[in-house]
Amino acid sequence: MTHFTILKQMLRERRRGLIWWSLAVAALATITAASYPAVRDAGEGFEEFMDGLPEGVTQMMGAADGITTPSGYLNSQFFSNVFPILLLIYGIGLAAWSIAGAEREGTLEPLLANPVHRWRLAVERFAGVAILVTVVSLVATVVLVALRSPFELDELSVSNLAAAGVAALLMALLFTALTFAVGAASGSRGAAIAAGAGLATATYVVYGLSALVDVFENLRWTSPWHWLLQPSPLTDGWTFQAIGAPAVVLVPFVVVGVAVFNRRDLT
Amino acid sequence: MADPPPVEVSQLTKQFGPLTAVQDLNLHVDAGEVYGLLGPNGAGKTTTIRALLSFINPTSGRVAVLGRHARDLDIRRRIGYVGGDVTLDRGLRARSLLTWYADLRGGLPWAKIDALCERLNLDHSRKIGQLSTGNRRKVAIVQAFMHDPDVLILDEPTAGLDPLLQRDVLSLVRERRDAGASILYSSHTLPEVEDIADRIGILRRGVLVHEDTLANLREVTRQRLELRFADDVPPGLLDGVDGVSTVEIDGSRARLVIDGSVGPLLDRISGHGVERIVSHDDDLEDVFFEFYRDDVQHDDGDDDRGEGDDGDNRADDHDDGDDVGETR
Repeated sequence: MTHFTILKQMLRERRRGLIWWSLAVAALATITAASYPAVRDAGEGFEEFMDGLPEGVTQMMGAADGITTPSGYLNSQFFSNVFPILLLIYGIGLAAWSIAGAEREGTLEPLLANPVHRWRLAVERFAGVAILVTVVSLVATVVLVALRSPFELDELSVSNLAAAGVAALLMALLFTALTFAVGAASGSRGAAIAAGAGLATATYVVYGLSALVDVFENLRWTSPWHWLLQPSPLTDGWTFQAIGAPAVVLVPFVVVGVAVFNRRDLT
Repeated sequence: MADPPPVEVSQLTKQFGPLTAVQDLNLHVDAGEVYGLLGPNGAGKTTTIRALLSFINPTSGRVAVLGRHARDLDIRRRIGYVGGDVTLDRGLRARSLLTWYADLRGGLPWAKIDALCERLNLDHSRKIGQLSTGNRRKVAIVQAFMHDPDVLILDEPTAGLDPLLQRDVLSLVRERRDAGASILYSSHTLPEVEDIADRIGILRRGVLVHEDTLANLREVTRQRLELRFADDVPPGLLDGVDGVSTVEIDGSRARLVIDGSVGPLLDRISGHGVERIVSHDDDLEDVFFEFYRDDVQHDDGDDDRGEGDDGDNRADDHDDGDDVGETR
């Protein structure tokens, strides 16, 4: 019998890409953490400037808690933008390739001529995507945990840092799952990317403008960015909103995508 | 109960939107048989094959391999497949792809895979993306044959291969056939399958327009000659010539059907005032083109159908299995 042969092959093939992404994210986390003492020292000026901005603008910058506290700083510089966006780019790219991209390049049919169920191929490929994105997010979290003492971020507990890392990962996986599902169900790589990246952007706008525009304020509960950032796991830890909600929502995406892929015509 | 044929297509119809790719197709491949599925590009060969492998679902009708649906893993374990446009993961070395596919089949001895590669002269240490088209096709062929499949479904497997390699592949096919496997072999040219197919079917626009054994096809493509003499054909001249099976005399013209060599005939007629020898030879290729002609001439639409047609081709849509000679 074969054990996760497709998953193992995918991880082998993606090893080099994973190393580069991990190095990039580790470097970014290091620079961000290492800059904190300087930002805090320049603090008062920043705070005054931020206080002068409307509440909505600071929220858009991920800086509702101010930017000189450790949690406010990491949220505004890392967890509300750069980090989840990098995870999204990595995850959406992989997910779009996993079925629809492989179908387009023509490698799916020869693979499926082997005795492998379609659903198994889909599940193993999605698992591969999830593992790769998880590794990158784990690298960032580990770097931040390791650097929190040297760079005076130790006001943040390891648990809250881990919760923020997991929450950002799950939010990225939510849109990654959507990309995967649309690609698996339709066979169209373009549609998959449009759905995943498009919805990630739209919900980001909803969240960003929710403090300024009433319509969006009423809608912000639908935005995974809102789940991730209000309140932030950096201050509130493992909340259902940040951890449970995206985990629950991504499951039906994957299930529907796999089920449709299992029966449809390959393109 | 008799076993169902290893490859069976019954009343298969497949539509892609408004386009009917295959219509009411019936064919089967018996055990130990090579079936040549012929037709121009776009005739429905690949659609039929993709339905057999369960890549696409029939709009109506059914397909079965070894009596069951290819969705069944036990069935796919026994199928070897080479796709029409071979695209295997370009970033992988041929060796990695082959061991990966072998693992998916529960593991196969590397020595066996290696021997196949050697036989086709394939360097499996290279990346697939760096291989030539022909070499990439070899990888596809190795993965299709490495598990000694009972059913081989080959979609133009030797397109892009040089004649020498083509011969190697044909010998692989022959070996599987001799071991009792059923082989569906699609091609858009007849000469490619002429040496190997036991039966052929000709698809045109999704419809099987002709199906016959190759032996029968050869039969109707015996040489036909017309001799034109200066005067009337000398009486008795053409009686009892070796290799001449029928003679029809009409004044100064004689029409002959010849089995085998024309040598004895030429010996007999030399010095008897033959002015002209006209060949009405329909070789297999011509028969084949007869079925295609419609498509080749009227590629750009149906509007002018019938104008330049001799009308026969259209009738062929409905009389599978009729004598090919009729189309002449």
